[in-house]
Amino acid sequence: MTTPQKSDHTKTSQATVSSSTPPSSTSGGAVSNTLTGLLPLAIGIAVALTLHFGLPLIVNAFYARIVMDIGIAIIMAVSLNIVNGMTGQFSIGHAGFMTLGGYLAAFITYYGSMLIWGDVKTHGGLLGPGELLFVSSCIMGGVLAAGAGYVVGLPSLRLRGDYLAIVTLGFGEIIRVVLQQTGRVINHADALKQGGLSQLIPPPVGGALGFGGVPKYTNIFWVYTILTITIVAAYRLKRSSLGRSMISIREDEIAAQAMGVNIARQKILAFVIAAFFAGVAGGLFAHESGVIISPQDAGFQRSFDYVIMTVLGGRGSITGVMLAAGILTALPEFLRDFDQYRLIVYALLLIIMMLVRPQGLFGIHEIWNMWPLRRRTTKATVNAPSQEAT
Amino acid sequence: MTVPTSRTLDVKKSENGLPALLDVDAIGISFGGLKAVDGFSLQLPTAGLFGLIGPNGAGKTTVFNLLTGVYEPDCGKIQLGSRRLIKCKPHEITAAGIARTFQNIRLFPDLTVLDNVRLAGQLHNKHGLWSTLLRTQGHRREEDVLKEKAYDLLRIFELQDRAHELASNLSYGHQRKLEIVRALATDPRVLLLDEPAAGLNPQEKILLSQSIQQIRERFQVAVLLIEHDMPLVMEICERIIVLDHGVTICKGTPSEVQNDPRVIAAYLGSGLTDD
Repeated sequence: MTTPQKSDHTKTSQATVSSSTPPSSTSGGAVSNTLTGLLPLAIGIAVALTLHFGLPLIVNAFYARIVMDIGIAIIMAVSLNIVNGMTGQFSIGHAGFMTLGGYLAAFITYYGSMLIWGDVKTHGGLLGPGELLFVSSCIMGGVLAAGAGYVVGLPSLRLRGDYLAIVTLGFGEIIRVVLQQTGRVINHADALKQGGLSQLIPPPVGGALGFGGVPKYTNIFWVYTILTITIVAAYRLKRSSLGRSMISIREDEIAAQAMGVNIARQKILAFVIAAFFAGVAGGLFAHESGVIISPQDAGFQRSFDYVIMTVLGGRGSITGVMLAAGILTALPEFLRDFDQYRLIVYALLLIIMMLVRPQGLFGIHEIWNMWPLRRRTTKATVNAPSQEAT
Repeated sequence: MTVPTSRTLDVKKSENGLPALLDVDAIGISFGGLKAVDGFSLQLPTAGLFGLIGPNGAGKTTVFNLLTGVYEPDCGKIQLGSRRLIKCKPHEITAAGIARTFQNIRLFPDLTVLDNVRLAGQLHNKHGLWSTLLRTQGHRREEDVLKEKAYDLLRIFELQDRAHELASNLSYGHQRKLEIVRALATDPRVLLLDEPAAGLNPQEKILLSQSIQQIRERFQVAVLLIEHDMPLVMEICERIIVLDHGVTICKGTPSEVQNDPRVIAAYLGSGLTDD
């Protein structure tokens, strides 16, 4: 029994919407809308290309490597922030997803290139066949991690706070222990082809020593391209209805339910999305030169690094977390001159940070809401409703 | 104060011959050995305005929690229109058309006023994860409509100037108001108000009682009101249900309730009546 009053109300709201949208919302508008939808990605890829070719000209390999590490750390921290910062669930098993995805990606590129090319060297340059295999293996790793994210997300429906943290911690440890039980890496294409399927059980990914010999495909271009996709996804999520319902769970679960938010679905979705990007980042990590992905990477230590980044950045603040991830990744490297004191300095900085600014660098805000930039944006938002009112 | 009394009262069906929009039949719940609510029945017609009163701890908020699916009733049935609402999740019940406010304000403090309202308005959204990540046109149109709808509601309640403030920065009275706006944004057919006048000053209470009546007429929602402010309840409610220790002790028009000896006994004690 809907009433005329009510339908009138919705009609007027639609009428105001249609009048407020510019007249160009026809086919031309659709094209420009798609363009603006893709624009941030295009800019990101352009930045990635510039860094990829420009950076080696300016700095040496050591710093280029740090830039790459920062990129991977940002992907991890921004994705973890979807669970910890936006949805308010406390996960400390994020490195577990990363390592799981990394191992699958490494497995696919290692044995894939052995089957295709007969060896495990890198094949082709930028966007060459080897890199395409590498990127698709990273995505597969992300999909596997997302599946694991679904499973780990299930207990979050019943557990809260510390208890959920223990479950996610346990997940990381399970991954670590299981990977330690894996078999030795098969070194030769001939051996791989001659041995039957039985050699795949347990999977030959190196056991406790780690998965050595993975072709080193990871470069700045791919890291920053995937970083762009991660940030755009996180930002669009945050600004949309989906993100709002995740944030409402963080704010007040009971009120969120009462306002029609399906909290079970949103929590699991947050875990799945975060785990996907962690898995992809794991793929990048496993193919980075100088890295041998090992079961230790799934452990508590690495997970906690990412938790610290999200806490320092501010819950739900994407730019804050990016900055924190950048600083915390670069800092230990630049403190190397202090040798054994560097960990003390690192810890002291964290303690000072927690005392001075417990809400994180930017709190719940993004960088453009912060002090020198704030004035302009608030002015703009004050003007916004009056424009819409017309 | 005995169970048989309440059962005989239940025979009274929704008045005016109108079919009941919200039909609650003898729901109850116990916590351990305590019967928090026992045999609660209610026939709320479309756009009806009923009051639910009773001393502290009578089980009024528990009734709201049963109606909104926070607790699952041990027995009885709840029906909204033709839809049965037993064993539904809270968000399903909200989607079916029952919205509520909370006794202790439960806004989302770190979201803006606009986002609080938008969050409630989005429960019928159709676009999911992929259209969000790809920012498809349909998704954007949906977000635009949602925003405009939220602004419309804020304008009706004169909160539009505060749209971009954080909910936690609003004054107490405005927070109470925003809770009602947020509940209305879910397009409810039944609105449950849990002590909306608590903590308001006399001036604000007058405005509140006016706006509750306006809400009912403008949005054609049925309202069930828990309130301790008796003048307000008696003035605006068509019928009143009185709970004591989880049992319905009286149902009727305000004047009937005011003169009922059981109600007087529940509120004031029964020492003076008969000796």
